[in-house]
Amino acid sequence: MPMNTDIEAVDDIFQEGKVVDGFVIGKEVHRGGMASLFSATKEGINIPILLKVPRVGRDQPVESLIGFETELTILRSLKSPYVPKYLGSGNMATRPYIAMEQVEGRPLEDYIKEGKVFTIDEVVRIGADLAQAVQSLHSQDAIHLDLKPENILIDEKGKLTLIDFGLSHHARYPDLLAEEMRKGIGSAPYISPEQVAGIRSDSRSDIFSIGVIMYELLTGELPFGNPQTISGLRKRMWAEPFPPRALRREIPRWLQELVLRCLEPRAADRYQSATRLRQLLRDPEGVTLTERADRVEPPSFWENLKGMFKAAGYEPSPSPRPSMGNFDAPLIIAAIDTRQSDEDLRERMQITAKNLLQAYPESRLVCLSTISSTPTFEGNQENETASGIVRGHLVQLMDWAKPLKLPPERISYHVLEAIDPASRIVEFAKDNDASLILIGASHKLPNKVTPWRTSMTKIVEEAPCSVHIVRT
Amino acid sequence: MTERIGLFADLHSNLEAFDACMDRAEELGVTRMVFLGDLVGYNADPVALIERIATLVKNKKAIAVLGNHDEAIFKDSGKQMNSSANAAIEWTKSQLNNEHVDFLKSLPLIIKEEKICFVHASAHNPADWNYITDSMSAWRCVQNSEKNYTFVGHAHEQALFYQSAVGKLIRFTPHPGEEIPVLQHRQWVGVVGSLGQPRDGNPEACFAVFEPESEMLTFHRAAYDYFTAADKVRRAGLPEDLANRLITGK
Repeated sequence: MPMNTDIEAVDDIFQEGKVVDGFVIGKEVHRGGMASLFSATKEGINIPILLKVPRVGRDQPVESLIGFETELTILRSLKSPYVPKYLGSGNMATRPYIAMEQVEGRPLEDYIKEGKVFTIDEVVRIGADLAQAVQSLHSQDAIHLDLKPENILIDEKGKLTLIDFGLSHHARYPDLLAEEMRKGIGSAPYISPEQVAGIRSDSRSDIFSIGVIMYELLTGELPFGNPQTISGLRKRMWAEPFPPRALRREIPRWLQELVLRCLEPRAADRYQSATRLRQLLRDPEGVTLTERADRVEPPSFWENLKGMFKAAGYEPSPSPRPSMGNFDAPLIIAAIDTRQSDEDLRERMQITAKNLLQAYPESRLVCLSTISSTPTFEGNQENETASGIVRGHLVQLMDWAKPLKLPPERISYHVLEAIDPASRIVEFAKDNDASLILIGASHKLPNKVTPWRTSMTKIVEEAPCSVHIVRT
Repeated sequence: MTERIGLFADLHSNLEAFDACMDRAEELGVTRMVFLGDLVGYNADPVALIERIATLVKNKKAIAVLGNHDEAIFKDSGKQMNSSANAAIEWTKSQLNNEHVDFLKSLPLIIKEEKICFVHASAHNPADWNYITDSMSAWRCVQNSEKNYTFVGHAHEQALFYQSAVGKLIRFTPHPGEEIPVLQHRQWVGVVGSLGQPRDGNPEACFAVFEPESEMLTFHRAAYDYFTAADKVRRAGLPEDLANRLITGK
């Protein structure tokens, strides 16, 4: 990637007083983890200008560059009174920057940090404005996916602006963060359960985040805390938050109903559009009250346990995956242990796969292997390495499937990152409506294959479909 | 003048679609044309298409690469094609003179420019006519093209494969008319879609326009008179299913 060759040069370009593409650079107004912000002026542009310059360098997370590219693509396309106007950009490789309108206002985060107590009316108004702003994104096929108080500016008149589209998704542009191996990118307290599961195409994720923000403004607490681990993040897939009315008695029942409904683990159980949410915040008469409105006690141990069982089968709402092709034809997963080298088993599995595929002419084969974690958070070098590891496994899978001589439309290869391979394979089978999982059980090397055998038992027990065990 | 490259693939002797796309390309300010193979096959106007494209190539307004249907005109393709496709190849052979065949023979399999690679099927063993349908086939293609941009046809549906955060190439279904930023530090494979025989259920002709300077790629669909094109197929005595698929786009 050429952009990394002139790191110093990029820092030199963006200094007060210098001119880039007609933009006269002013003071650095903010230096964040991912980017620096400079005020700027340009002849012919009569609104205050902000230049956002990504921080580049080996110590930077790869997301800072990909996020920059994502923001550039999406901000450029958006037309909304709730989003800063895009005013220009520089070449990614040599002088990366995005010029945008410098919006008045302070982040909602500042008010929270100052300990401001929001009145119920204030929260309702902010919630309604937020829903309206989000609706303007959704109507343009964009999903913010990183709504949090830091990314919401409010000016003196109360006008709200959404900023930072570095993690956003736009249905009309390639999603550079798709299939990112480190799941749940975003801000831990605010992201939805489906985002934790790695799904980036559900607009109802933003509804969830609005729910978290409103909960926080009402109670001063985060409904699911600020977890630092994946298992902590997964808690929102089942946990019922502490009812807001138990924390602040004056919250009307309808508002508790509305906020808790936004926080439902399954997207299908939330309000389905930001428009609907806004309507209800403007006209609470329309809110249908359920038991959610009446909760006053924290969820009991038993209720949480029930939730956990439900979450064990947590299925994110289906979103189409082009790579998975035709859902009507049976999908067969061959779980291949690339670490083991039992030639007999390998051949037996290939023959079994071949026979099954012949029996079902419309079937498709997915060759799957799992790896433990790869580095994804380092600079570009490390990222290359991570993809290198994946590629290595892909090449092995392709080699495994070569004798089957399947046309490309009938086969695909996936390397999944997983600490627990069995669960990941089961999850993959569920997500993709698989009909059959094919796994091998070797009689050789009994000690060495023990972990895989344990995985096998788990797959047999938990698979959503038939499991075919191949023995030599 | 900013360079704007018109990309056209799988034209398959469809003159009505060809003319409609050339008109649209002119409107869009295309400065140079690339024909990504399969000029002939399936439909009824091989002579007109070859002659128009040969003139454009001769006048340095276009370049063209060889497709498998073009190759089948002068080389025995064996049993690789289905019966309708084969019937169309046999019929096409009967229509062409030596000059036409020589033009097809003169087409290269692959053209590599400074930043762009043009090839009919895949840069990975181009003569094997591998389809780019998934992440793996796209990856093999870029590994061999060695360019940041590779434009292909062969698979008749429009698709853009892009390099994601993990290096893997991911398939994206483009929205016609929407400019997509394709920044040059990534690797991209654009499958421009079929001009002469679309198969995604939409009968409109596919093509794409790439503007290297602004790093923008736009996929397009052009409406054309597919009833006339289908009628010509029938009158030429070509298989009925070839006429029907122009109308249904399937």
